[in-house]
Amino acid sequence: MMSIARQRLAVGAASLRVLPRSTQSSFIAYRLLSTTSCRSQAQPIHIKPGEPSHDHRLDPPGFKSPHGTGTLSAENGPGKDLDPYKGGQSAIDKAVHLFFFTEILRAMWIVMENFFRPPYTIMYPYEKGPLSPRFRGEHALRRYPSGEERCIACKLCEAICPAQAITIESEAREDGSRRTTKYDIDMTKCIYCGFCQEACPVDAIVETQNQEYSTDTREELLYNKEKLLANGDRAEAEIAANLHSDHVYR
Amino acid sequence: MVSLLRTLRSMRRVGIKEWFHQLQNIGDAKSGRLVGTDQFGNRYFENLNWKEEIPGRHRWVDFAQHYNSASQIPPTHHSWLSHIRKEFPTEDTVMQNLTPPWQAPWHENLTGTRGAFKTYNTVTPKIKAWEPKVAERG
Repeated sequence: MMSIARQRLAVGAASLRVLPRSTQSSFIAYRLLSTTSCRSQAQPIHIKPGEPSHDHRLDPPGFKSPHGTGTLSAENGPGKDLDPYKGGQSAIDKAVHLFFFTEILRAMWIVMENFFRPPYTIMYPYEKGPLSPRFRGEHALRRYPSGEERCIACKLCEAICPAQAITIESEAREDGSRRTTKYDIDMTKCIYCGFCQEACPVDAIVETQNQEYSTDTREELLYNKEKLLANGDRAEAEIAANLHSDHVYR
Repeated sequence: MVSLLRTLRSMRRVGIKEWFHQLQNIGDAKSGRLVGTDQFGNRYFENLNWKEEIPGRHRWVDFAQHYNSASQIPPTHHSWLSHIRKEFPTEDTVMQNLTPPWQAPWHENLTGTRGAFKTYNTVTPKIKAWEPKVAERG
C-alpha cells in the first residue's frame, strides 16, 4: 500500500513540474478570488481614439435625448474596456486543473492521515458495539424470584403478534392455577417487534439482549416452552438488570 | 494498518508473547486494565484513555477457548461488553441483587454439535395416526 502511494506521489510531482511553463496563464488559472482582484490580471482592450464609443445605430434617426440623459447599452457599463479572459484559459480548463488535479492529492492526503491513525473498526467478537437495554433479541420466559413461572396463559402476546409466530395452549395445573402447556415461538417467523413483551401483563415473555443464537438448521429455531424457560433461567440476571435500569421510563 | 506509536506502546506494555496472542485473535495490539474474568476464564479488559483506545473500542474480551465465539460470554458479562451496563458484574450491585439463586449455568451456542436444541411438542398431539382395526366378521 505504501509503495503505491509513493508511486502516485511521484506522478503528482512530475505533473507539478510540467505546470509552470506559462506562468501568466497558470497565475490566472490558480488565482483565488479572495486574494487577487479580477482586474489586475486583465488585459486592456485597445480602443482607437477617433472612434466613438457609443453605437448610434440603435438610436432612431432624428432622436435626440435630453441633455444628461440617454439610452445606456452594455458598452456603458463599468470595466467595458477590460477583457479578463483574453489570452488565458477558459473557465472549464481552470476548473479542471484546479479540482481534478488537486483532487488526487487531497484524496491521497486523507488516505495518509488515516494510515497513521488507530483503526476505528470494532473487532467482533472481541469488541462489540453498544446495545440498548431495550434491545430486542432472543426471547425468554421469566420466572418470579421464587422460581414460579410468570406466564399465566392470557394469550395477549399471541393475539398481538403481527407475524403470528406465537402459539399457546393452556390448561389448569394440578394446584388449579392457569398455566401454559404449549408456548411455541417460531423464531423464523418472528419480526422482533417487541409487541409481545409490551403486551405481557406479568413481564413473562421478554426479548433478551442475546443476538448470538444463530443455528445450522431451521428446526433449531422453533422454540418451545422448555427452551424459552431455559433461556430465561440462564439470563435472568441480565434481564432483570435491564428492566431495572429502564423501569423509570415505563 | 495501525498507528505505529500505539502499537509499540501496547507491545511494550503487554509483552511480546501477549502481543503475538493478540495478533492471532483480535488482530490489533491493545493494552488496558484487566477488569476481571468470568467463570469460563475469558479475560475482560478496559482502557478508558481516549488517546490510547478509540471510544467504542475501549472494552474487549480475550477468549479462553481457541475456537471462540461471541456466545461464550455469559449474559452478565455480555451486558458489560456491549456497553449496556456501566459496572463490571463483580462490581455491579444491581445485577448482583437481581441474580436469583435458581439461575442456570450458561452454555455457549451449541448448534452444529450433539447438544443442539431439538424442538419437541410439549402437549399431547391432537392428530393421531390411523390405526387399522379389523372389524369382527361372521
